[in-house]
Amino acid sequence: MSSRIRVFATSVGTKLLIGITGLALFLFLITHIAGNALILLGPTAFNHYSHALTSNPLIPVIEIGLGLIFLVHIYKAVTMYLGNQQARPVAYQVKKGQGGPSRKSFSSTTMIFSGLWLVLFVVLHVKGFKYGPYYASEEEGVRDIYRVVFDIFRSPLQVGFYIVSMLVVGSHLWHGASSTFQSLGLDHPRWTPRILALGKVLATVIAGGFIVIIVYVHLFAGQVGQ
Amino acid sequence: MRLNLKIWRQAGPNAAGRLVDYVADSVSTDMSFLEMLDVVNEDLTKKGEESIAFDSDCREGICGTCSLVINGIPHGPDRGTTVCQLHMRRFKDGETVTIEPWRARAFPVLKDLIVDRSAFDRIIAAGGYVSVNCGGAQDGNAIPISKDIADAAMDSAQCIGCGACVAACKNASAHLFMSAKISQLALLPQGQVERQRRVLSMIEQADAEGFGSCSNEGECEAVCPKEIPISNIALMTREYVKAVLAAK
Ligand code: FES
Repeated sequence: MSSRIRVFATSVGTKLLIGITGLALFLFLITHIAGNALILLGPTAFNHYSHALTSNPLIPVIEIGLGLIFLVHIYKAVTMYLGNQQARPVAYQVKKGQGGPSRKSFSSTTMIFSGLWLVLFVVLHVKGFKYGPYYASEEEGVRDIYRVVFDIFRSPLQVGFYIVSMLVVGSHLWHGASSTFQSLGLDHPRWTPRILALGKVLATVIAGGFIVIIVYVHLFAGQVGQ
Repeated sequence: MRLNLKIWRQAGPNAAGRLVDYVADSVSTDMSFLEMLDVVNEDLTKKGEESIAFDSDCREGICGTCSLVINGIPHGPDRGTTVCQLHMRRFKDGETVTIEPWRARAFPVLKDLIVDRSAFDRIIAAGGYVSVNCGGAQDGNAIPISKDIADAAMDSAQCIGCGACVAACKNASAHLFMSAKISQLALLPQGQVERQRRVLSMIEQADAEGFGSCSNEGECEAVCPKEIPISNIALMTREYVKAVLAAK
């Protein structure tokens, strides 16, 4: 046992890896929403932020890293889910939630489905924005990503898809954000209840925050030139 | 009191099982759940039918042998109790009660409500013990253990190995059981020598037995008759990380 590679192959190692990558993705999402909030300050601030990001030579490296983190998280979660399905070949005729101190919720029982939805979402999202139409802004070499955002969210269909996807993000984080800490073995009688509560608050704030931005853009899209 | 029972009957490990309806008449509210089943079995025997196979031993909540899922909850509706400690006053006249065995690949059904839990024995045999010979019993005060640590170790040591954690977990994971044993020994001085080997081999054994992984839902903690918390699982994870880092 315990050649260093096999460390992450055990059931506990799998949790560690899903936890670490999940935490990284969660932190990424926080920086993402902070950046998106700049859209409320108008085109100059938002385009400059986007330009500063895309012109940074480190960004391609970080993107590859982020992509790998996504892949590891997805691969480990899917294989764990399939393994777990095999661990109970005959289902209960009657099964109830156990109540009491259990952390089970709609969110925790649908992690695999919310996760798979988000895989699809991320692909479409990156395709629509990063690889979406290029509009030049008034400034030389700066992409008018602000206009892309307003273009996309003019469509009620896109708004609907994005709002549903943000609710799915919220659901995934409702269990996932605090669960990463338990997966990493971080537990404390005083702090764990706070982490559990904070996870739910942040899930709500992040999903709600993205939805506010989407609705804001949709409502004001008419005022921004075609 | 009269109850409508739906009980899982399965002739053997490879036979197909199904829920069979029985009526338990004249059940006294003072009976324990297992006594109620005893009465049902006596009636079956009188009628010349085969009695329902279920496990029990101490009938006072300390051995972990009894193992029934009652209306979808391992050990039934009461918190912090085993089936043998459950009383019929907890049920209403005319209620329908469904009784099933633990369900997990690693706990195959032997007959009716009895499952084979030897997978737990093999996990313990993989490292859940202290094998260091230390001669005759020493004076208890020779190894000072602070009250906090002793209490924490005692809390983990309360595990009776019934397997309700596995039965309740949607992944049929044995993490709570394993972690209780690992915590108990990791906290005490006697467990130090084999500390790293223990966590690695017990986890390896549990995985090999076909138990699932853990999704941090804590259904196990909610049904545990000894109310062992999943903070033990976090401790096991820390033990695992330390053992991996220190592995030679
Ligand atoms: S029979 Fe011993 S714990 Fe229930």
